[in-house]
Amino acid sequence: MWMIWNLSILLSALSLLIMLFLIARRVLQERRDKVEADQRRQLLTALIAFTENRDREALKAVMLGVPASVAINAGFEFVSLLRGEERNEVLVAFHECGLPALVGRLLERGNVAERIHAAEMLAALGSEDATASLLSALDHDHSRDVRIAAAIALCDLGSLPLLGTALDKIGVAGQRSRRLIDLFRRFPRSRFNELAVHASRADAVPFVRAAAIDALARTGGFGFADFFAGLARNDSPEVAAAALRALGLTGHGAAPAILAVAMTNADWDVRTAAADAAGRLGLSELAAPLSLLMDDEFWTVRYAAANALRALGQPGERLLREMAGSEVSRSQRTASLVLAEGPAA
Amino acid sequence: MIADWSHEIVLAATILSWFIIGAGLAQTTIYLLQLVFAGYALSKRPPVARSALLWHRYGDVAPPIALLVPAYNEALNVVESVHSMLALEYPNFEVVVINDGSKDDTLQRLIEAFRLTKFHRPYEEALVHMPIRGLYSSPMTERLFVVDKENGGKADAQNAGINVCRAPLFCVIDGDSILEPDALMRAAQPFIDDPERTIAVGGTIRIANGSKIEAGRVREIHLPRRLLPLFQVVEYLRAFLMARLAWSSINTLMLVSGAFGMFRRAEVVAVGGFTKGSMGEDLDLVIKLHRHMRDTRRKYRIQFIPEPVCWTEAPETLSVLARQRSRWQRGALECFFRYRSMLFNPRYGRVGFLGFGHILIVDVLGPVAEVLGYILIPAFWLLGILSAEYLLAFTSLIFTYGVCVSVCSLILEEAELQRFPRARDLAVLTAAAVVENFGYRQLNNFWRVKGWWQFLRGNQGWGEMTRTGLGGAKK
Repeated sequence: MWMIWNLSILLSALSLLIMLFLIARRVLQERRDKVEADQRRQLLTALIAFTENRDREALKAVMLGVPASVAINAGFEFVSLLRGEERNEVLVAFHECGLPALVGRLLERGNVAERIHAAEMLAALGSEDATASLLSALDHDHSRDVRIAAAIALCDLGSLPLLGTALDKIGVAGQRSRRLIDLFRRFPRSRFNELAVHASRADAVPFVRAAAIDALARTGGFGFADFFAGLARNDSPEVAAAALRALGLTGHGAAPAILAVAMTNADWDVRTAAADAAGRLGLSELAAPLSLLMDDEFWTVRYAAANALRALGQPGERLLREMAGSEVSRSQRTASLVLAEGPAA
Repeated sequence: MIADWSHEIVLAATILSWFIIGAGLAQTTIYLLQLVFAGYALSKRPPVARSALLWHRYGDVAPPIALLVPAYNEALNVVESVHSMLALEYPNFEVVVINDGSKDDTLQRLIEAFRLTKFHRPYEEALVHMPIRGLYSSPMTERLFVVDKENGGKADAQNAGINVCRAPLFCVIDGDSILEPDALMRAAQPFIDDPERTIAVGGTIRIANGSKIEAGRVREIHLPRRLLPLFQVVEYLRAFLMARLAWSSINTLMLVSGAFGMFRRAEVVAVGGFTKGSMGEDLDLVIKLHRHMRDTRRKYRIQFIPEPVCWTEAPETLSVLARQRSRWQRGALECFFRYRSMLFNPRYGRVGFLGFGHILIVDVLGPVAEVLGYILIPAFWLLGILSAEYLLAFTSLIFTYGVCVSVCSLILEEAELQRFPRARDLAVLTAAAVVENFGYRQLNNFWRVKGWWQFLRGNQGWGEMTRTGLGGAKK
């Protein structure tokens, strides 16, 4: 019993002492923050002045006069607002002040948030050493978020290693992140084949394969239509649905047959994607299977089928009206709801 | 005769004292462990990135979100609240206001302010709720949608919103909450980083009393000037922020606050949505999600992010606070007994052992044991039945460990988050962390015991939650 009492006194006193120390630290920090805010204001004023008078020496003098952390943060924020020649000239001043080297060091030694930010800054600054620093981060950094940020930055700089290698370095856990979608969308056209190869790898993570297909569909265009058609029958529902969505964007000669089969798939996500694609492509020959989907047990599928029928124009609308006027059923209710969609009369 | 019984009386008093002290010790140990886990989680979590960076980083891949706002008799603030929600910084979201059969002119105010017109929108009747009288859209913005329905309570309104919304994620908030401009972006981050496993995310709720509020935004952060909300600031830090962070770090988070919570729609629909008429519908939903995911053997995460995302108004009077705490207590008891089969059930792993164990010790046994202790331990000591050792042990568990836990929460906050802007605030909060253990804590436990009593008597009333309105905070 005495131990409970003694320990409680000791712990309480200790916690109060630590708190007093933290309060004192905060007082000092408040003063430091005030100084930093002034320096930041000074630098931003100099940057604004530079965009008007292009006096690089004056800008460099101010930049070198403030702490590196202030120069990096305020500088990057400012440069992200600029485009074209103005931006390039500010970047030259940054380079002459050695900012990219400082950012490179931040990528090695900062905390996780700072390292991610450093990777983004290096991509924007585009220095000679940036690629080496980013490759090193992709190789060695223990945070998957930093590795993904490094991969995106490398992609922007046109120096991303082969996709398979980059994904291996990002690691399996990182291959669940939606940030990979961002990475794939930045892929240059010349490297689309790598995305295609990865999307067709049966051993790859389905989420990554689907993301690669989506990226190809958005930017790759009709050139990949055959490829999408091939993947539309994939065993993985995630991959098949992505391929069907892609087919809906590009179209394909065999699309009606492929979509008709997909509409009978056991996975509701695949059926939904097939219905969406049929509507987007306006394939009126698929009106019958779409009508069957109107009785699907999943609302998402029914709604996609109804919208697809509507997208077919008059024949589809006629079918919907027939269904809406029939006996009460799932398809009747869905058809009435979709026909009524929009502002009330 | 009394002498014959003295031995038995001493034995009974000793056993009772051991139970009380044991319960206090278990509770204190849980709090200290929570601090350790929370400290670890905070040290592992990267410092918060600035809003502009988040947008730059996640803007293109952020999933669509529906913001569900139940409104009942909110005519006074609803238009300003909706304006502030529509101004949130997120690339793809819609605001669904659910007018839950308000008796005032909440709907009319919305119709006039946003020129709403009736609209037909097909939706899946996946969850049961009171009939919808009409759906409205606005020609001024595609982001706003209003559901007018018959009154059925908050959970019922939220279920209607879930049915009507189309986004894969939805976020529930209280009608009178104020969101940080980047709240959705921050809360969506776990869904972006781990979209397959993340099914729910809770964020830090902060107390806005005393802060300067303009146009539905917190412009300047100040501490409350009144004592009661000030104590609640410390309480939120200790009981909510640190506890939730700790449980989240081991995927045992049992509560995502109804004031701000983001959920994956498919899973919430699968568990039947919010339980209508529940006193603790937020706790109830999270327990159902845990149960469902464990029953179906799927990997999942329910996460808590320490960043402040939402501001709320804390009760400023004893009567309102008492009603709120009694209701929370009833909510915890109701959920505990409704899902009691999960307690220490190996099928539910750490949720059954740690999550439910925590509710058992802190919410079910805790207040009763503590209030019994206030009465019995000093009485036993005064009557000479127990030695001073027992009294000191009980006193230390209530007061000195209480001070230690509250101050340690503040230490973690300052060491890792630093959300209080001035050193003076820290000094005031440190004083509050000490003082709250002498009076406020005891009152709180008394209200919780009252909640126990109401639960046993089957009292299901919410009680009136009078608010002064955040617009009335410091200007």
